[in-house]
Amino acid sequence: MNDLIRRLLGRPAGKSGNDAKQRLKVLLVHDEIDLPPAKMEMMKAEILQVVARYVTIDEDAVTFRLHKDDNRGVALVSNLPVRRVAARA
Amino acid sequence: MSQCIVVTSGKGGVGKTTTSANLAVALARMGQKVVCVDADIGLRNLDVVLGLENRIVYDLVNVIEGECRLKQALIKDKRLPNLSLLPAAQTRDKNAVTPDDMKRLVEDMKRDFDWVIIDCPAGIEQGFKNSIAGADRAIVVTTPEVSAIRDADRIVGLIEAHELPEPELILNRYRPGMVHRGDMMSKDDILEILAIPLIGLIPDHEDIITSTNRGMPVAFDDESAVGAAYRRIARRLMGEQIAVPDFTDNASFWNVFKRWMGIKGAQEVIG
Ligand SMILES: Nc1ncnc2c1ncn2[C@@H]1O[C@H](COP(=O)(O)OP(=O)(O)O)[C@@H](O)[C@H]1O
Ligand SMILES: [Mg+2]
Repeated sequence: MNDLIRRLLGRPAGKSGNDAKQRLKVLLVHDEIDLPPAKMEMMKAEILQVVARYVTIDEDAVTFRLHKDDNRGVALVSNLPVRRVAARA
Repeated sequence: MSQCIVVTSGKGGVGKTTTSANLAVALARMGQKVVCVDADIGLRNLDVVLGLENRIVYDLVNVIEGECRLKQALIKDKRLPNLSLLPAAQTRDKNAVTPDDMKRLVEDMKRDFDWVIIDCPAGIEQGFKNSIAGADRAIVVTTPEVSAIRDADRIVGLIEAHELPEPELILNRYRPGMVHRGDMMSKDDILEILAIPLIGLIPDHEDIITSTNRGMPVAFDDESAVGAAYRRIARRLMGEQIAVPDFTDNASFWNVFKRWMGIKGAQEVIG
């Protein structure tokens, strides 16, 4: 019945359950290591700065995320693609 | 004049966090500058209900311990720039904060905001004492259940003992159909027992669940009757005289049927 009212009102029904699941997964990983997402962004920026002192990284292709392993806990998984130096003449 | 409101209940799980988030959104949508404070140290929740969990860097305990400035810890809601959140610490000892700390913090915030809304933890211990320390006004949330009302009654006494003005009541998770059948205490039964003024009546409603799933409080939703009920509470807080409708009749067969048919004028009016 509520669905009918919702449809009459033109509001989307359903799928908020999936939103909840996705948000919760992110939340639990960050809670486990006590590092909130915004702080992780700060860490990422700092790491990129350090790496960039040595090599040129392709910033657009950088990935940086927390991975929850069933038995080994949380891992920080990152891929920092390094640009090849143009061949010297 | 700025005001600090504490949202409290004694019992856990009756809707303090949901109420705090929605009143904050509703007041901010009226153009008021609002900060919402999560005082539940160790069990942070308000950030999730407001959908701001990804933006936390610092928290209330960091501010009190001088590890960051208040401005750095406040999270401004991008959907509603008038609204800010001060998150609770997730991994600190709740005794890290004292009532005097909270008083000072609230005074600071009242300089920049029209409303400071404090989401109080369950219980009557340290967290409760901290939450009411800086408050000018209290809202007690209860559900129509014996245990919740008993705790609410206890809390009303404690609030009055702390020399705050008489608290106002929000009756949450109300089910008019059950009241109609005589299987739930009515609004009037509860008011008779608690003897404090009613400032809002919120039904038990699935819009609360879907909006919480999304991190988008229902007070943002102009189509939701529950959202409208929260917006009316905000107007009452602002001093407008709006009666709390007795919506038992909404659940009568004919009204439900008319709404089901989508008949105009049969919209749900609640709280
Ligand atoms: N009016 C309501 N209708 C349906 N569910 C509700 C309502 N109010 C609260 N809830 C749900 O009840 C649970 C407890 O609410 P919450 O606000 O976290 O309580 P508290 O902060 O008092 O512990 C949450 O899952 C919330 O979504
Ligand atoms: Mg809560």
